[in-house]
Amino acid sequence: MKPALRPLLAALACAMATAHADSNWICPAPGNALNPAGVNPVSAGRWMDEEGMGTRIPTAHSPSGQAYNIPYDNPDETPDKKDASWKQGGFAEVGGLKVFGNQNAAGFLQYKDLKSGGYLDNFAAWGEKASEARFYEATGGAVGMDDQFYRLQFGRYNDWKVTAYYDGTPQVFTTTYRSLWAGLGGDNLALTGLKPGGTTSAAATQTNIQRALAATPTSELEAVRKKAGLRYDANLSETWKFYAAATDQKREGSQPFGAVFGGGGGGGNIEIPQSIDTSTYDVVAGLRYGDPTSSFNLRASASFFRNDIDTLTFQNPLYITTNGSNGLSPTLFTQGRFDMAPDNEAFNLKAEYARHFPDFYRGYFTSTVALGTMRQNDALIAPTQYPLTGGTVTPGNVPLAGNWNTTSALSRQSAETRIDTVLGDFGLLLRPANTLDVRGKVRYYETRNESTPYFACNPLTGQWGRLLNDGSGLSIVTASTATGANPAGTSPNAYNAAMCNLAAARALNVAPVAGNIPLGSVPYAYRQLVANVGADYRIGKSSSVSGVVERETFHRDFRERDETREDKVKLSWVDRGTLDGTIRVSYEFDDRGGGAYNTNPYLPYYSASLGPVPAANGVNLASWFKTMDQFRSFDLADRRQNILNGRVDYMVSQNMDGAFTLQMKDAAYPSDLGRTGHQRTNSATLDLSYRAGEKAVIFGYYSYQSGVMDQKGVQPNGCTAGYTYYFYSDGRIANGAIGAAPPPPPAGTTLTATQNVLASNFTDVCGNASATSPLFPDSRGWNVQSKDRNDLLGLGVKYDLGKVKLEGDFTRSLARTRIGYSYNPAALGMSATQAALAGGGLSDITFSQNIFNASALFPVSPNVLVRLVARYESGRIRDWHYDGVAANPMPTNNTVYLDGGPQDYHATVVGILLHIRM
Amino acid sequence: MNCQGDAVAALLRAGRTGALSLLAVLALVSGAAHAIPPEAQYVGEKVCVKCHDVEARHFSGTLHAKIFRENPKNALEARVCEACHGPGSLHAPRDNHKIRENLVGYTREWGTPVAEQNAMCMNCHKGGERMHWPGSAHENNQVACSDCHNAMARFSATGLLRNASISETCQNCHAQQRAEFHKRSHMPLPEGKMSCTDCHNPHGSTTRPLLNADSVNDVCYACHAEKRGPYLWEHAPVRESCLNCHQAHGSNHDKLLVAERPYLCQQCHTSPAAHAGQFFRGDQTIGSSVLGGTPSQRMIGRACQNCHSQVHGSNHPSGARFQR
Repeated sequence: MKPALRPLLAALACAMATAHADSNWICPAPGNALNPAGVNPVSAGRWMDEEGMGTRIPTAHSPSGQAYNIPYDNPDETPDKKDASWKQGGFAEVGGLKVFGNQNAAGFLQYKDLKSGGYLDNFAAWGEKASEARFYEATGGAVGMDDQFYRLQFGRYNDWKVTAYYDGTPQVFTTTYRSLWAGLGGDNLALTGLKPGGTTSAAATQTNIQRALAATPTSELEAVRKKAGLRYDANLSETWKFYAAATDQKREGSQPFGAVFGGGGGGGNIEIPQSIDTSTYDVVAGLRYGDPTSSFNLRASASFFRNDIDTLTFQNPLYITTNGSNGLSPTLFTQGRFDMAPDNEAFNLKAEYARHFPDFYRGYFTSTVALGTMRQNDALIAPTQYPLTGGTVTPGNVPLAGNWNTTSALSRQSAETRIDTVLGDFGLLLRPANTLDVRGKVRYYETRNESTPYFACNPLTGQWGRLLNDGSGLSIVTASTATGANPAGTSPNAYNAAMCNLAAARALNVAPVAGNIPLGSVPYAYRQLVANVGADYRIGKSSSVSGVVERETFHRDFRERDETREDKVKLSWVDRGTLDGTIRVSYEFDDRGGGAYNTNPYLPYYSASLGPVPAANGVNLASWFKTMDQFRSFDLADRRQNILNGRVDYMVSQNMDGAFTLQMKDAAYPSDLGRTGHQRTNSATLDLSYRAGEKAVIFGYYSYQSGVMDQKGVQPNGCTAGYTYYFYSDGRIANGAIGAAPPPPPAGTTLTATQNVLASNFTDVCGNASATSPLFPDSRGWNVQSKDRNDLLGLGVKYDLGKVKLEGDFTRSLARTRIGYSYNPAALGMSATQAALAGGGLSDITFSQNIFNASALFPVSPNVLVRLVARYESGRIRDWHYDGVAANPMPTNNTVYLDGGPQDYHATVVGILLHIRM
Repeated sequence: MNCQGDAVAALLRAGRTGALSLLAVLALVSGAAHAIPPEAQYVGEKVCVKCHDVEARHFSGTLHAKIFRENPKNALEARVCEACHGPGSLHAPRDNHKIRENLVGYTREWGTPVAEQNAMCMNCHKGGERMHWPGSAHENNQVACSDCHNAMARFSATGLLRNASISETCQNCHAQQRAEFHKRSHMPLPEGKMSCTDCHNPHGSTTRPLLNADSVNDVCYACHAEKRGPYLWEHAPVRESCLNCHQAHGSNHDKLLVAERPYLCQQCHTSPAAHAGQFFRGDQTIGSSVLGGTPSQRMIGRACQNCHSQVHGSNHPSGARFQR
């Protein structure tokens, strides 16, 4: 080989090393509460090396100015490559734990499983055959507990490897649940001791249920997630790499849920425990290529979600109230049935390509294209299991019997839903000068809703609308029979003749009885385009400034705004020279606006589209309005946002460093209704840490966060055609037929305005919130302000007492959410008692938690150490959602609340563990 | 210890090829100006270890050490120490130890510019999950690879991080998120069941928050596939972004919600023909009922989700209002 070629070949060989050195960060390093960082065989049972970092100065800092940790005192693992035997080792940390206190409280059990008894805290086993570069490493912990975790990796360094892991995560939702059913976790919940459907009356049923609840002990609702994964990585060549992985996630248990009967709300409402039994199987495979100038990734993934509980049937103890029908007994509804999350699949194919252009302004181009799809086609269930014999629709008297307890009552038999996604992302970075980078990027992301629209129409009867809540309620579209709404003699069942032909139903030009009955599913979709340009300019050796200008555009199908645009400008400064540390500051301004706001874009999918508005005298037209004209949903509303971020890392001294971070965010919502005003979130943190070589590390931090969010609404009143609305000085509103004698003003008030509602003006006078709006009057407006405050204090120490090594850490977290409101009690028809109880706000939601961990490690022999562990936790939550629930879980004869809410707790864990090295 | 003499011997053995090739790679790949003078040559690991025996012992437990020593694929990897620090012939003599330009270092004290440090790492680690590193948020903020990683010892179970875990490493800078994970409802990071990289790719991605998937929802579906649907009856803000209602890291409110129910729901729902627009207040809790209040299922417990329990979407043919 010619000598001149050797350097070039060597250079290529070195560069091709890119294909081999791709660290796999995707596979997790599972752990648990006692081992939050997982198991590191090098550090487990070891202390900081008394030789410190070696030949360096006592401490060394990262480029940003944060001190590095002293490495652990590990033995020298330099291999003897001639040794063809396996070098193996391992350890186990095993012993016993004792838990005192409220060990069954939800707060203590959250995401962990600590019980009294034998405990295998962690273990590791490893081996290496240096002559062949083969290895294995197995780690794990909390063996046999719900939060157990394992990881196994084996292979050949720089050639191939297999990684397998398993991780369990328990999630306790509540431990104050009074379950009335057997069969939790399954697809059928059967009442234990109560008569399904209630007894003779709502009052008698309430007495029975209250008695049963008083005798029911509290229990726990929990779900455990178990995840296992297997991954294979291989270097196919100098430039190509392959990987394939599969994971299996299973989740089982129960969580709080809710069920309602009747028309919703007043019909009967009871908490039930939702059974969870799901599996998600994911497979992914990919190819990677890398050479000195180009890299390429190809990734294909598939995900399969399977729900072993297709439907959840539960026996109902309530004596419910039916709605919308005649002739059905309330005690008929002995059970309810949910259609649970459907089996679904998702597929994604992604290709990425990047290329350096060293001769074109040292440029770097990236491109990403991805196609995805999510789909499900579960079989649909019948609207009800009940034959509904004797029941008829009100009005119109169409019999219900046998017409709804069959899948023949559906417009189709399966879901047929599908959403495809498209991603295209292209970026270019140029370095026209040593001190200047310029970059630009375009990103397009689209969801395409390819679902077949589902229409809620019964082919057996031609009726549009739905049975509600197993048939205990109805939301069926009938023609309005109000005088003047339709031609005389129009049957309420006029639409049925069209037999689910929507165009034919609309062609009848018959006014419906209500405007807000859903007719069909809405195929939401959106297209997002992001384009930005930016530049970085380096000032001297240690500073840089950068700026980015970006526009993000959303086009949405069937949302209140077809288009929103958000312009963003961000300026940043990074400096390493001013302080012994680093300063990073950025300011961002975002301005979102867009097209016209349509308060009801869903009209074609609602009964209002079936015919004209029945603006005849005496007809309440409220259901033709979705919201008031000035209302803005916050995700689409205009918004101006200022965000200031700052961080300073400072080396206070050789052994002490500190950091300060600050974020101030102000999002202004100019809309009058919805999320309004300035939503502010502020956050500041201070960190200090001190290192005395390998002897001690002491750290502490404090974080403060605050947030404010405002919203405004209007409690609707009415909008009856042919009526006059009378507005009084205290905010109250009365009404009467146009031309009738006005009602006398309430005592102590005067009449301030009147407003007539006519067929010709109802859209304007009722749709707009104003002082004289019959439907959205200002006097019935309400404001809510939510203020959050959080404080977090953390302290920690590692101290070498010689033979004994101590570690400890403590966190104290305090939180408060304060909700205040303002309103006009007279306008809202509140009694003096109600107004006094409501006051100016709700009781604060508060949370406080203390967690203290300590560990003392000392050797008893070269291969055996003793670790004494202690953990103390206490928690306190006050949440007005649960005020009084435990004492009175059934406050009315048709509402039952079974979750007593979070409880205070304090619990202590102590343990003696032997760390045994092999 | 005769670092200088051994260095000369190593120099004769190693030759100039490797040093020149490293320079060529850096020039080709990164465009960064290289600190080490071009006359520097490789001296071999044994020369380094004569002075840096402690570092070598710590390093021996790392993945880099295993790869470089047991199965290097090319000349650069076989250099071990010098694969990352550059050829050491100019650094090895005793009088030259403190001349920073003679070697690539990764600490603040040593002073090698961040761009040059990162270029050394990217010699081997470019592409793959780091394809979007150039121009990424971290690179734009002058974050060095060695701000998060410490390849000189194994501090973490995986990833050669400078702290014991991914979460601790990220929280060195992202202290705000550390506070959020200690709130009443939070993702299980403090409990060791998740890490930041379950949702984010710190090395760069096509999304602004450095997500490891194409969209927020795709990230969430990795664990919450039951929400993926698509459902027969969809809930618009859910389909577009989970973050419309949820905080990603932690929240003072139940279920990581952005605000308390029912008020969160009322920021979109005001229907005049039903109850969504009603004013809900303190006399409607069960606690108030004993004092004359009227309890409302829209305030108690799960509030709106007492009835609208299938809030993420429903596959029931009657599920347009998410009650079944």
